[in-house]
Amino acid sequence: MTNSVPEFEDADCILITGSNTTSSHPLIASRVMKAKEKGAKIIVIDPRKNHIASLADIHVKQNLGSDVAWINGLMHIILKEGWQNQTFIDERTEGFEDLKKAVEAYTPEKAEEISGIPKETLREIAELYAKSEKSSIIYCMGITQHITGTDNVKSLANLAMLTGQIGRPSTGVNPLRGQNNVQGSTDMAAIPNKYPGYQDVTNDEIREKFEKAWGGPLSPKVGLTVVEMINAIEEGKLKGLYILGENPMISDPDSTHVEKALDDVEFLVVQDIFLTETAKKADVVLPGASFAEKDGTYTGTDRRVQKIRKAIDPLGEAKPDWEILCLVGKALGGKGFDFQSPREVFDELAELTPIYHGIDYDRIEKEIIHWPCREKDDPGSPYLHKDGFARGKGLFTPIEYKPPAELPDDEYPYQLTTGRLPFHYHTGTMTRVSPSLTHEINEAYIELHPQDAKALGVKHGERVRVSSRRGAIEVKVLVTSGIKQGVAFIPFHFAEAAANRLTNSAALDPIAKIPEYKVCAIKIEKINGREG
Amino acid sequence: MEYQTVRTTCTYCGTGCGVLLEVLDGEVVGTLPQKDHPINEGKLCIKGWSAHEFIYADGRLTKPLVRKGDKLEEASWDEALDFVAKRLLELKKKNGPDSLGCFSSAKCTNEENYLLQKIFRAVIGTNNVDHCARL
Amino acid sequence: MDKLRNYVKELLESGEITGFLGLIDDGGHPIPHLFTKEHIDRLNDLVVPDFRYPMTDILLKIVRKYPESTIGVMVRGCDDRALIELAKNQKIMSDLIRPVGVACSKEMAESCRCSQPYPREIHYGEKVEGVQDRSDLEEVESMDLSGRLDYWMGQFSKCIKCYGCRNICSMCFCDQCTLEDETLVMTGQTPPEIPIFHLIRAFHMAGRCIDCGLCEEACPAHIPLRSLYRKVREDMANYLGYVTGKDEYEKDPLEFLGSEGYEVPSKIDET
Ligand code: SF4
Ligand code: SF4
Ligand code: SF4
Repeated sequence: MTNSVPEFEDADCILITGSNTTSSHPLIASRVMKAKEKGAKIIVIDPRKNHIASLADIHVKQNLGSDVAWINGLMHIILKEGWQNQTFIDERTEGFEDLKKAVEAYTPEKAEEISGIPKETLREIAELYAKSEKSSIIYCMGITQHITGTDNVKSLANLAMLTGQIGRPSTGVNPLRGQNNVQGSTDMAAIPNKYPGYQDVTNDEIREKFEKAWGGPLSPKVGLTVVEMINAIEEGKLKGLYILGENPMISDPDSTHVEKALDDVEFLVVQDIFLTETAKKADVVLPGASFAEKDGTYTGTDRRVQKIRKAIDPLGEAKPDWEILCLVGKALGGKGFDFQSPREVFDELAELTPIYHGIDYDRIEKEIIHWPCREKDDPGSPYLHKDGFARGKGLFTPIEYKPPAELPDDEYPYQLTTGRLPFHYHTGTMTRVSPSLTHEINEAYIELHPQDAKALGVKHGERVRVSSRRGAIEVKVLVTSGIKQGVAFIPFHFAEAAANRLTNSAALDPIAKIPEYKVCAIKIEKINGREG
Repeated sequence: MEYQTVRTTCTYCGTGCGVLLEVLDGEVVGTLPQKDHPINEGKLCIKGWSAHEFIYADGRLTKPLVRKGDKLEEASWDEALDFVAKRLLELKKKNGPDSLGCFSSAKCTNEENYLLQKIFRAVIGTNNVDHCARL
Repeated sequence: MDKLRNYVKELLESGEITGFLGLIDDGGHPIPHLFTKEHIDRLNDLVVPDFRYPMTDILLKIVRKYPESTIGVMVRGCDDRALIELAKNQKIMSDLIRPVGVACSKEMAESCRCSQPYPREIHYGEKVEGVQDRSDLEEVESMDLSGRLDYWMGQFSKCIKCYGCRNICSMCFCDQCTLEDETLVMTGQTPPEIPIFHLIRAFHMAGRCIDCGLCEEACPAHIPLRSLYRKVREDMANYLGYVTGKDEYEKDPLEFLGSEGYEVPSKIDET
């Protein structure tokens, strides 16, 4: 996030797209509601009328995968009307002329045709967003989990720069990160091309710094992503896999394919707190500890580094995960794993990570710090790009609309999108053993528009078989006018009816390598015969 | 009779709300919202309020498991760790470091993510390090 | 502050109480903690901040496990009212609770709009007069009936079903919570079925709510819950002449309804 969570409250306009904020980030939704009470206008662009959409001043359902088109459409209108922030553009950005040329073609009519958002509404949104004093954008996986994910994100950045709605409090472009420590794990280089703090593995100078710190030669070659590793197993190139606290059997697209890879890999280590679907396939399972049983830090979605503290000892012979990893490091003959506590690990990583350099356990005990925080006297950065962008000037990137990889056809006539519920979390390993949460809901379902349900001859509560080119699942029907006609929604928390048996792992965003979870083509069939 | 609360961070979403785990005689019995936390200001969602509920759930792993034929059997830490090290080093020797990889975790701490990538980069010698949270 | 610490210390050392539930300073953040004789030094970190945790709600958790022990607890005016009602509902035995009273500051009394910002007995702080402010109710009362309905439906539709209002409330002590009764409130929805979810809770607070406002403070949707329960409380006072949290020996006119929630006739099966 470019800005911090409390800042939402003071925005004048909040544009939310591809985020079911109430479900996935309830306490951020809380700030949005507060902003509304203080008079902010809330705009939601989402194919489902979710909770936050029902509270919005404007809600429109766009066609799946049409985001670049409506964002370009907004920019077209803004430029036609002269609502852009020319001072900001002149002083802080580059590439404006290219952008102008690119959005020229996205007339309101064309944007409406592709996105399904009426041109009058587009105009209204453009005006509110551009002319409000402080406008903030919130987005989540509904924007990134597309083959055009990177394009979508860049388009939103274009929009913010065009109107100068960035680099000030309560503005910015704010991706909400799904899991508790996605931000931190990325910061800590759980990505194939960087060292901690987004330092390139291909940069010789940086690599030398890490070689010195870690005491040995490092590979200059960019590694493989999750989906590429799964494919490399199939190709016989990847032989051993270590999975820490993840359940790709449920969370990854096209689970049939993932399952085969996990069966085929020669050696699989899984470190987790439960015997997940993934752990069952392992050769060795190492019992880790829950958040209540260890110390450490998480980095929240707004780059806020916070502590978790040990409340009880790990259960049985389980160990805190940091301790297990030190043992594994040492067993492999590695040096530099003699840490006595997470505090010592943090000190080492802060030393090597400029954006964390000024942070330590004593400081975050007392203050809230958002990285970048480079020195001990640096208060940190609740919002970014105050005095400029990382590369100096903000670069506009002209983006053209591209349709989703898999469009509906005669055989698979419906579009599927997936998402989260307020009552469960990710693959459900923790929430589905939590009585208060399973009491609310403990079964997958498919949301269908009343017209579609009628056409299929199914009623609320009946079961259907949903299939895509990759697999099939059976689920209960929930009829709701909250969803766009022709589109179906399945929450992905439920292993026994895993939505990711259907999703498309072959369609990847070329840059971010994020699979297109949010659109695929499906067919829906009524299951005949009486169901119990 | 011992009751204390432990100030920590909710383990569910990236909002990172401040919670207090209530510990009664060494057992976590509840979760409270931290009143003076700048993000949640004494409020939580249903997941946060029940963040303690999975801790003692059936099925929590309490011992290392090692595959013997079709079955995963309980093993000692020494046995499990030796086996992990032996197999990974064998595969590295035979097929090179890039034949190994890891999925790190968006649910684990910064320190743990740092350590796992350090193992793969510095000890194994590959950049095949990623996480599942593009998802 | 030292006087308060010494007082609690004496209670613990003399064995009059087994534990004292108060707030401890943890790196600048006051959090609930049970002080005991074994770790008497920790009393140096005992603090009285200007915000509240649900002390009596926490107390119930300890009392359930140690029904025979005598326990001290830091109480403000609202906590003390809760103690009175909890005793009436046989959730605690007054003999086994030693309230250590804290009077709230003027600022706190005002920000809480508290009509009685002090407990029966004061061990810390200066008593200030209560605030009589029903402007929140007057605002809603000034609307016509359909306006009021719209107002409340609008408020309730923000609910994210966190159950925070119930979880933080000392007077929500039923073993079986009606809010979780699937025959009354459909599960798995946000907002929960409205207005039924909120009306159930409002009715259940009649004769119980001691107007502490903790529910409203805990509500992520910023619903003015307290106004709703205040209205119910006022009606109880006006029509039944009963005010909660005043007198331990006064009988709750709704007592016949039982303390375990109300019996709900199970929904007749359509089949
Ligand atoms: S309490 Fe809810 S909103 Fe806050 S971090 Fe936990 S899951 Fe996220
Ligand atoms: S004000 Fe709210 S929390 Fe306090 S007693 Fe009444 S209902 Fe319970
Ligand atoms: S605290 Fe507010 S949001 Fe939560 S259940 Fe109660 S009314 Fe709903």
